[in-house]
Amino acid sequence: MEIFLELVLTGIMVGSIYALVALGWTLIYKCSGVLNLAMGELTLLGAYVCLAFYTWGFPFPAALGATLIIGFLLGLLTERLFLRRMIGEPVLSVVMVTVGLSFFFRAVVGFLWGTDTRVFDPPVFPREPFRLGQMVFGQVYLWSFVAAVVLLVVFVAFFERTRWGLAMKATADDEMAALSLGVSAKRVYALAWAIAFMAAGVGGTLLGNINGLNISVGTLGILVLPAVVLGGLNSIPGAIVGGIAIGVLQNLSGGYLERFTAGGVKEIAPFVFMVILLLFRPYGLWGWVKIERV
Amino acid sequence: MAPDDDGRWQGAECVVKGEPILRVTNIEVLYHEVILALKGVSLAVPPDGVVALLGANGAGKSTTLKAISGLLKHENGKVAQGTIEFLGERIDRRSAEEIARLGIIQVIEGRRVFEHLTVEQNLRVGAHQAGNGAHLRRGLELVYHYFPRLKDLRQVAAGYVSGGEQQMTVIGRALVAGPRLLLLDEPSMGLAPLLIHEIFAILARLNQVERIPILLVEQNAKLALAAARYAYVLENGRVVMDGPSETLRENPDVRDFYLGLTDLGTRKSFRAVKHYKRRKRWVT
Repeated sequence: MEIFLELVLTGIMVGSIYALVALGWTLIYKCSGVLNLAMGELTLLGAYVCLAFYTWGFPFPAALGATLIIGFLLGLLTERLFLRRMIGEPVLSVVMVTVGLSFFFRAVVGFLWGTDTRVFDPPVFPREPFRLGQMVFGQVYLWSFVAAVVLLVVFVAFFERTRWGLAMKATADDEMAALSLGVSAKRVYALAWAIAFMAAGVGGTLLGNINGLNISVGTLGILVLPAVVLGGLNSIPGAIVGGIAIGVLQNLSGGYLERFTAGGVKEIAPFVFMVILLLFRPYGLWGWVKIERV
Repeated sequence: MAPDDDGRWQGAECVVKGEPILRVTNIEVLYHEVILALKGVSLAVPPDGVVALLGANGAGKSTTLKAISGLLKHENGKVAQGTIEFLGERIDRRSAEEIARLGIIQVIEGRRVFEHLTVEQNLRVGAHQAGNGAHLRRGLELVYHYFPRLKDLRQVAAGYVSGGEQQMTVIGRALVAGPRLLLLDEPSMGLAPLLIHEIFAILARLNQVERIPILLVEQNAKLALAAARYAYVLENGRVVMDGPSETLRENPDVRDFYLGLTDLGTRKSFRAVKHYKRRKRWVT
């Protein structure tokens, strides 16, 4: 029983990081309808940026803050350079652009930082485990959880409280109507990419702290796909719940099924789950069903 | 006031004194660089007037509004010829966002509320450009004054309120934006007669009390001619007729085509109108 609880709780903590990345993904999809296949690489890039600042001697919170700022700027830049000109083009072309971006970012990371596994050195979080009754967790999970939750709260508050948050939600609902009120769709898209980069950067950093940092963090980042499919592609609460659920699922399958196989169940389980889910609930848990009044 | 050589009436400025705030001069609109949707439309809206655009489906009424508000550019359309001036400034090359900032707010066709936002959030989006401070408070007060029903519904998702309330929400949203010219596209579409009456009464008050000029597109010609002081009739992307509402109401063609009235002023019998169509369908 303890093992089960431990797996579930660790899953929730890792899942909160996925939730953060998934939120960024959903935001882009919701506002501009772009299916962003470069999300994994965004996490990768963010993680390396933070590592760079950390190795230059910045304290970790400052490095994380710098990652957020750089992420914001990179997001604006990416949107301006690559996606702005794709507005109005067929969906598939835009998706292909994001695939191109994913290769590009991966190559940039390889070029700048190499392909060896790097770790945050000295370790950011204390190594001593954290105990809760009989259960034992790494502190890194706990603090990642705290950081992810704080950022999630900030983002959600941004959507609920601020003018631009509201403008983003409005654009997601009806772009033409938002335009008619003077909301600039281009700025909304740019902001969506900026936030996605920020979320992915922090998510990548936290994942990098858990396992060490190499190209595979990018594949962890792509776990947002099952997460957002579970939540419904365009629901922000859905992305958060989906992310956490995928974390738990991954951990449980790792804990219970790994011993029967040659390994790798942990990586595959979320995708198997996604396929099954798509068969039965293609809209996910909270995907938009258009509101129809009868 | 007399028609000019072509039998057209001079612009709206002869009805209401003062320079028109909006002047559209001979615009041509192209969609996708090839489809000619407007073939030389000219019109003028006087300060604090109500002007109506009449015409059948596909005549180019909505296109005209979108050309003015700049939304056309987001539908792959553009003003290829002619000019649009608002308060003396040329706006036909401006983006939708800039035009909205100048104060031209379009209420697009079909009650397009932000359905997943609450009614009040919908209204707040209207204040996007002006900011969330005093302007928003004043805007909300104004909207709740004219549409008291929205006040009770403000926490309800706009997708779930009734059609009339959605129409009120989208008009209210435009009001919060502080319009200097309101472009209304088919506010009566799909609403019960009683509600249409209510909404048009409120529009008239908005025009008279708040001094908001309105350019109205409406298929219901009777309603439009009652609400507007001046009207233009569009057909196939051209202005075919224009004049003060009273004059148009007396015009035999308008009576026949748009109001369904006979020379004697009685409503035409449905049977008489349909007659030749029916024969055509059954005899051949």
